[in-house]
Amino acid sequence: MPLKFSPSLFEVNNLRFERRGNLVLKNGTFQILRGEYCAIIGPNGGGKTTLVRLLLGLEKATSGEIKLFGYDQKRFRDWSRIGYVPQRSALIDESFPATVREVVAMGRYAKRGILSFESDDDKAAIDEAMDLMGVSDLSDRLIGNLSGGQRQRVMIARALASNPDVLIVDEPNTGVDVESQHCFYGLLRTLNKTKKLSILFVTHDIGVIAEDITRVLFVNQSILVSQNPAEIVTCNEMSRLYGNPSHVICHNH
Amino acid sequence: MLEMFSYPFMQNAFIAGIMIAILSSLSGSFIVLRRYSLLSETLAHVSLVGVAVGLLCGMSPLWMAVVASLVASWLIEYLRSVHGMYSDSVLALFLSGSLALAIVIVSLAGSFNASLFSYLFGSILSVSNEDLWVMGVAGSLSVALLLAFFKELYFIAFDEDVARAGGIRVTLLNFMLVSIIAVIIALSIRVVGTLLIGALMVIPPVAAIRFGIGFYHTTLLSMGIALVSVVIGLSASYLFSLPSGAAIVLSLLVIFIIVLVINRR
Repeated sequence: MPLKFSPSLFEVNNLRFERRGNLVLKNGTFQILRGEYCAIIGPNGGGKTTLVRLLLGLEKATSGEIKLFGYDQKRFRDWSRIGYVPQRSALIDESFPATVREVVAMGRYAKRGILSFESDDDKAAIDEAMDLMGVSDLSDRLIGNLSGGQRQRVMIARALASNPDVLIVDEPNTGVDVESQHCFYGLLRTLNKTKKLSILFVTHDIGVIAEDITRVLFVNQSILVSQNPAEIVTCNEMSRLYGNPSHVICHNH
Repeated sequence: MLEMFSYPFMQNAFIAGIMIAILSSLSGSFIVLRRYSLLSETLAHVSLVGVAVGLLCGMSPLWMAVVASLVASWLIEYLRSVHGMYSDSVLALFLSGSLALAIVIVSLAGSFNASLFSYLFGSILSVSNEDLWVMGVAGSLSVALLLAFFKELYFIAFDEDVARAGGIRVTLLNFMLVSIIAVIIALSIRVVGTLLIGALMVIPPVAAIRFGIGFYHTTLLSMGIALVSVVIGLSASYLFSLPSGAAIVLSLLVIFIIVLVINRR
């Protein structure tokens, strides 16, 4: 598949998804452009993770169209251009025999192809990702022996090792302390501003990234798009979107 | 003790045992990490159905075991990955179902219980040159495939969803892995026996994981543990006239207990 430049990373039209006859998502029409920092918010069970899984091809849409980098999703093959940090990635099996470096190196596997050894490019990309996320010193430690915050950084380093154009992060703060969460938001900001990495961030806590995001997708069975995050972040608007009764905690950072 | 190597049947048993140790520990690492350990036990029981059918119909029990094990492995993986059934439930279904079927076939025939006994518990006397050739060819192909897709299988064991999202052909590789395991188990029952092959696939990786080292070193250590236990087990089998499979598994258990004591956490 020849590479082509497309200003849009994700282009979604009339997306609909049903699971065993039950409607999960409908009216999905939006696009996400290069360099954007997009937040995906919505109540639990609203379909945020399902939307991410549909974009990644982990679920098949019932109807509608998804284009990745300008290509129809069915024809898209260059998956290493998308870095993915799944939900609860920090909650891994503690006895799994994997060192930090081995986990980060997984980010290069799809790019390397079969029967290949780690090239100099692979080594450089792995080292750079580990440096960027501050986990180089942990290289030989077992992933299960790290704290939640350290594991989270390792998972992001793995996603960055393939030098992706976009990073999809799905509610990554489960099991992570507050201090590590704040470091994490700062890292995402840096990646977006200085590395020009596009970010899709599934979260409940939109307040802490309100100043960074350029677009918000509100997902609650249907998908509402706002290009004016300041408007959606207000308490009244959030209460309206989440529906009553809901408890929205408003805070300033 | 070294005189045992002068007997052709012991030479065959050691060659077969070493091949099985490498194959089972290499593939076993993946199923242990995926919490899929019972797969080996289940496919071993299914192989027994193949053996019983082979003995009943006058066909090669070994080849019938391979066919039965392969078909079952595909069905198990299909039910797990396509229908989303819990893997332990699917395995329990096949394990008890295949054992029931094997018992019915054996009771119908009634006359080959002695032959079947050697497939249940393994017998070093039963490894022929032809068996070695079959194991050598199928085993080499299995090792080649496991090594070729080693890093992809490792990624899938660590996080199946992220591997799939990264463009790795997870479904295809999962079917390949269970097929390889099915063949390894069916070919191993001559030496270790259907009731005990599961231990050879599971105990070495479980013991190696206790050392808390990276995956590549864990796999190498697991192979080492399997090789040592096969050598000790076969030697004990010769010296004390014990069933080879049971002797190998007891050696494995002793090694596991030693590892457990060394690596108390």
